[in-house]
Amino acid sequence: MTAVRCIDLCKTYRQGDQDIKALDHVDLEVEHSGFVCLSAPSGGGKTTLLNAIGGLDIPDSGEVWVAGQRIDQLSKGELAAIRLTQIGFVFQAYNLIPVLTAQENVEFVMQVQGVAAADRRSKSQAILEEVGLKGLEDRRPAEMSGGQQQRVAVARAIVSRPALVLADEPTANLDSKTSDELMELFVELNNHHDTTFVIATHDQRVMAYAKRLIKMLDGRIVEDIEQRAA
Amino acid sequence: MNITIRLAWRNLWRHSRRTWLTIGAMVFSNALLVFMISLQFGMYELMIDNTLQAFIGHMQIQAPGYKDDAKMRQVVPDAEQLAATLRQELDLETIAARSAAFALLSSEDRSYGVQIFGVDPRYEPGVSTLPGLVKEGRYPQDRDAQEIVIGSVLARNLKVSLGDELTLLGSGRDGSFSAAVAEVTGIFESGVIEMDRSIAEVPLGFFDDVFYMDGAAHAVVIVTPGLAVIEDYRARAEALLPAEEDLVLHDWDALQPGLKQAIQADISSAFFMYGVLVILVAFSVMNTQLMSVLERTHEFGIVMALGLTPGRLGRLVILETSLMGLAGLFLGALVGGLITLWFTYNGFSYPGMDQMAANFNLPSRFYPQATLLTLFLGPAVVFVGSILSALYPALRLHWLRPVEAMRAV
Amino acid sequence: MHYVQIIFTLAWRNLWRNHRRTIIMLAAISVGAWAMIFMTSLMRGMVNEMLRDGIRALPGHVQVHHPDYRDDPSVGNLVSLTSAEIDATLAGAGIERFTARIRVPAIISSERESRGVTLIGADPLREKSVAAVGSEIVEGRNLDGPDDGGVVLGRKLAEKLETQVGKRIVLMSQDPDNEVADRGYRVVGLFEANLAAHEEAFVFAGRETVQKMLRIDDRVSEVAVAGDDYRVVDALLAEVRVLMGKDDEVLPWTELDEYLGTMLGVMDGFVLVWVVVIFLALSFGLVNTLVMAVFERVREIGLMLALGMRPSSILGQIIVESVLLLVLGLIIGNLLAFASIIPLKDGIDISIVAEGMEMFGASSILYPEIEKSDVILANIVVLVLGFIASLSPAWQASRYEPVEAITKV
Repeated sequence: MTAVRCIDLCKTYRQGDQDIKALDHVDLEVEHSGFVCLSAPSGGGKTTLLNAIGGLDIPDSGEVWVAGQRIDQLSKGELAAIRLTQIGFVFQAYNLIPVLTAQENVEFVMQVQGVAAADRRSKSQAILEEVGLKGLEDRRPAEMSGGQQQRVAVARAIVSRPALVLADEPTANLDSKTSDELMELFVELNNHHDTTFVIATHDQRVMAYAKRLIKMLDGRIVEDIEQRAA
Repeated sequence: MNITIRLAWRNLWRHSRRTWLTIGAMVFSNALLVFMISLQFGMYELMIDNTLQAFIGHMQIQAPGYKDDAKMRQVVPDAEQLAATLRQELDLETIAARSAAFALLSSEDRSYGVQIFGVDPRYEPGVSTLPGLVKEGRYPQDRDAQEIVIGSVLARNLKVSLGDELTLLGSGRDGSFSAAVAEVTGIFESGVIEMDRSIAEVPLGFFDDVFYMDGAAHAVVIVTPGLAVIEDYRARAEALLPAEEDLVLHDWDALQPGLKQAIQADISSAFFMYGVLVILVAFSVMNTQLMSVLERTHEFGIVMALGLTPGRLGRLVILETSLMGLAGLFLGALVGGLITLWFTYNGFSYPGMDQMAANFNLPSRFYPQATLLTLFLGPAVVFVGSILSALYPALRLHWLRPVEAMRAV
Repeated sequence: MHYVQIIFTLAWRNLWRNHRRTIIMLAAISVGAWAMIFMTSLMRGMVNEMLRDGIRALPGHVQVHHPDYRDDPSVGNLVSLTSAEIDATLAGAGIERFTARIRVPAIISSERESRGVTLIGADPLREKSVAAVGSEIVEGRNLDGPDDGGVVLGRKLAEKLETQVGKRIVLMSQDPDNEVADRGYRVVGLFEANLAAHEEAFVFAGRETVQKMLRIDDRVSEVAVAGDDYRVVDALLAEVRVLMGKDDEVLPWTELDEYLGTMLGVMDGFVLVWVVVIFLALSFGLVNTLVMAVFERVREIGLMLALGMRPSSILGQIIVESVLLLVLGLIIGNLLAFASIIPLKDGIDISIVAEGMEMFGASSILYPEIEKSDVILANIVVLVLGFIASLSPAWQASRYEPVEAITKV
């Protein structure tokens, strides 16, 4: 079964008076329960590809399928619904809503989904414990370290058990120990819950964890390597 | 351009929308203030002019107590002689003796109690607009003629027209019964119903006979060339009052205290409202400048580390506010001036204004005029308010510690 | 529904994120709301008192006259029914508060002075039932009944006439054949009124005595009927028209005294204009605050959108934030206004400008009145316009593209 399928994706940005091909005829298929790393130098197109898969960015041409549904022609509202129910996001920074506590951040997606309060609470507490943040439920983002914040973001991304988690440079602001802890968390989730992970990164350590490593350059996939998981 | 001014100017336009909104608040209030103040001051002037020139004049010489009691026996002896002296000495034609009495005015069919004034036909037109308002017939010319001029409503109520005779009944200066017959030779129409209903004028000599005035009158009315020179004339006229007589000189404020008080009452309520507007603008400015200081914490930290004092940074904030304030001041004065100008040509009125205006001898449509004072009074206060409100954000800079500030995002 | 809770939580917490900005804005809204209600209640109090004084002087809410009486208020124009018939008709219809009175111009003379006045021939009990001017006796006694042979004068008039309780005066008017009708009366009482003009204008005598003096049998000049509320006179007007409108003119107070009638409308207009002006002055700061808030939160708005929150919820969040701010400010402002008016409920003495206020027809003590409808209007205008003003920044926030917003530095 295929979790993500991209067919002939193109996307061009204008920067100054220069056209930049962020995606240049990209074809990609990710299996269910895959663990994929997209690696590229900055400007290589990995974030654009990730955003296209997440329905945050609409490609100029080509098709994007997520969980068997074509999403590149959906309306904003429909895309929002897909993101809400099918996809979990972890961003590089500004992952959390500053005025909400850790637990509230985790509950945010569920709350928007309309999950009952009691259900939300038990799920969010369980997931925070799972990511090792027990006892920090009532802290606001400003009162937590970068690693803790990222773990809250991960907890939020996976709390409603999405089939697909997209992470954009999740370790960029973390020290190496914290990065490893985060990646081990990802791997564990991947193993236990069959969650598909697509991670954009240029961190070698992160790549080491991937089952499959896709290298991009100037908007094209230049290498696609199956790896033995670390 | 000075480097600091250039810096302040550029800082303002980093958030052009915020700056425009703040200037917008100033322009809104300033334009409103300019228009309202122009309207008000113009109205006051017209109110005073119209009320005084209609009848009261700028000053009156009276017997003590007459102003409050208006009793027949409180007279100015040899009033016409006194008026003549004043006209000559002050080199001013607009001075006239006048008497007043209550009398019952009867025609064939009707009787009405009215106020009858004895006026000097030669000089009265200089001190009152009433003679000019005669719509039918003419104003008396002979000081002894047995003629009477009445208001149009009174004429209608008495069912008389030109040439008809009216009987006057009243009491004379000594309290005795007085009666006479006069011919209606003129009918005036001022448009103020109350005046047109209750005033009649007869020549002073005739009045003197009827009411046994014996050469005396109740007032010498003086109109000066303008409100500004009243004080000057007042001093000169007071010196000319006959020492042996007990006479007083009242200026218009004493004669018609209601007028100035009405203006004062109106000014104080209006200024309360303007004050609220200024405070609201000041809050708006304070908010903007506080934001602009807070978001530059990092930047200010750096320049302070480079050796700039908080005082200089504070001055920069004040300078920014001043530039914004100046933009608001001139744009506001411009917009307000244009609005006022539009009404200068088209006139200003609101529903119900004609009713209220009549109480103060004002026309029902008003043409305001902006002067330098009305253009800049309001905006200047708003400007000062803005600067004061920027003091709080500016002074906050003294608490800034460079190292912490630089760490701020 | 599940959106509501999260939207409110976010809006409320975001409001206090930059507490200084919020407090400044709250202060501005509170001052604005306070000024709206405070000023309105002062003006409302003044105008209501003015209307009540005016209606007391008319008196009543609806009056019946001979069709020509208002233009020519003489003894020749009398109501077609006799006072006995009027009493029977109105009392028969269950109307309790009415008075049938004679009201003609007259001259009053004491031993020393004469004045033009309005002579009212009235039944004192019936006058009281419509709360007419003249019922507040401060010296001596009121008239006993319609056959009383004394007169009641205003205190000011008595001073001007140099007369007092117990002394005699002569009233002079005309009968329907234009013969002079006069009669001596003893002053039995003095009354006080809020307006000096009323004290000087009205002289009350027993209706039957005046009817005899004027030789008009049992006829009267006017019938005044009072209802419960001066704002609601249509039903009463219709009823009196049916009962008495065959040959006579029946009019409500708003047409009898057009000045008073327009004042009510002018006041309602003033309230609306004042509230809207204050709001506009506030709106710049409000929009500015929201624009800043949105600007600072671009990234988290992008995040929420990326996580699947609908744009409409972002819009809602900003609007809820704005409405919360307004509601808080309004609550504080309303409380401030009530708190500042309660100590003034015994009246503000503005007798320093009494004569000026009298020119407006207002008395010299100002009783602030908070009218529910004014308070509701002020609050609703602020909320509705505030909602509209927040639409633009809120709309802008909801239109962000998540990718651009999230990557914006």
